[in-house]
Amino acid sequence: MLSRYAIKSPWLFRINTGSCNGCDVELATTALIPRYDVERLGCKYTGSPKHADIVLVTGPITVRSESYLIRMLDEIPEPRVVVAIGICPISGGVYRDSYSIRGPLDRFVEVDVNVSGCPIRPQSILDGVAQAIGIWKEKIKLFHEA
Amino acid sequence: MAQFFAIAIRNFLKGPTTDPYPFGETYTPENYRGIIAYSPELCIGCGTCEYVCPSGAIKLRHDETGMNFSYWLSTCCHCGNCGYYCPTDAVYNSNDFHTSRVQSEKYNATINDDIASVQCSRCTAMIPRAVDALLARAYGEITDKVRHRVTLCPDCRRLEQFERMYL
Repeated sequence: MLSRYAIKSPWLFRINTGSCNGCDVELATTALIPRYDVERLGCKYTGSPKHADIVLVTGPITVRSESYLIRMLDEIPEPRVVVAIGICPISGGVYRDSYSIRGPLDRFVEVDVNVSGCPIRPQSILDGVAQAIGIWKEKIKLFHEA
Repeated sequence: MAQFFAIAIRNFLKGPTTDPYPFGETYTPENYRGIIAYSPELCIGCGTCEYVCPSGAIKLRHDETGMNFSYWLSTCCHCGNCGYYCPTDAVYNSNDFHTSRVQSEKYNATINDDIASVQCSRCTAMIPRAVDALLARAYGEITDKVRHRVTLCPDCRRLEQFERMYL
């Protein structure tokens, strides 16, 4: 029964994999200040990966953060939606082909939505989260049928 | 105390400050650096945008038939260098911020334009076409003489110059 209500309120979880903090500032802006207010979409930030439904990943996945990312993704239960925030996890961005990064993100996990930008605008994040919620609703329906 | 009530009443009348974006319109500044816009009719294929692009989002390829401009949104860092250095304003940042794509569209978020070369009006050589914006920059005003000159390949231009002066 709980999962029926869960459809309406996915919880967000963010992972910083060596980001420059630009995208994280924009994520904080989207969540905290009433001007953008991601909670209008029914979302809520959570501190624990075990509660996460939508995972927002920032940063180009540096060598140091790679093992932490993999361990963290293992803790997040299925069904989940992975959103790549910023150009770094999508393609490597300005750090592409660097010796110290292990990106892009889709080498490690199945990504669902890409929100490109450097950094992204809060409105673009809202766009991406809205798309992610659409995908998450489909995923959780399939999960219940199975 | 009176001041507090004044502020409270003012805020009550002002309405919510939340941007209605996903459900309504939002304000985008005119100079916001969003997705690149490209006009192939202005491009001269100098390759400056490719040279200054820090994230390798722009690639220009030249061959005999013409050139190809390609741009990949997923690696563009929206720095605006291409627009700043473009001599003819063929590349610039539009204020379109809708950069959210599902994974299947990751490699489709591109601009891809072919610009065909033109044939020399005297021989069969292929030359890049002349763009008015560049001619205006080089010559000031564009006369018929200039218009004729840019239809020739470098060899034919030399030949015609020689004929005009010595024959």
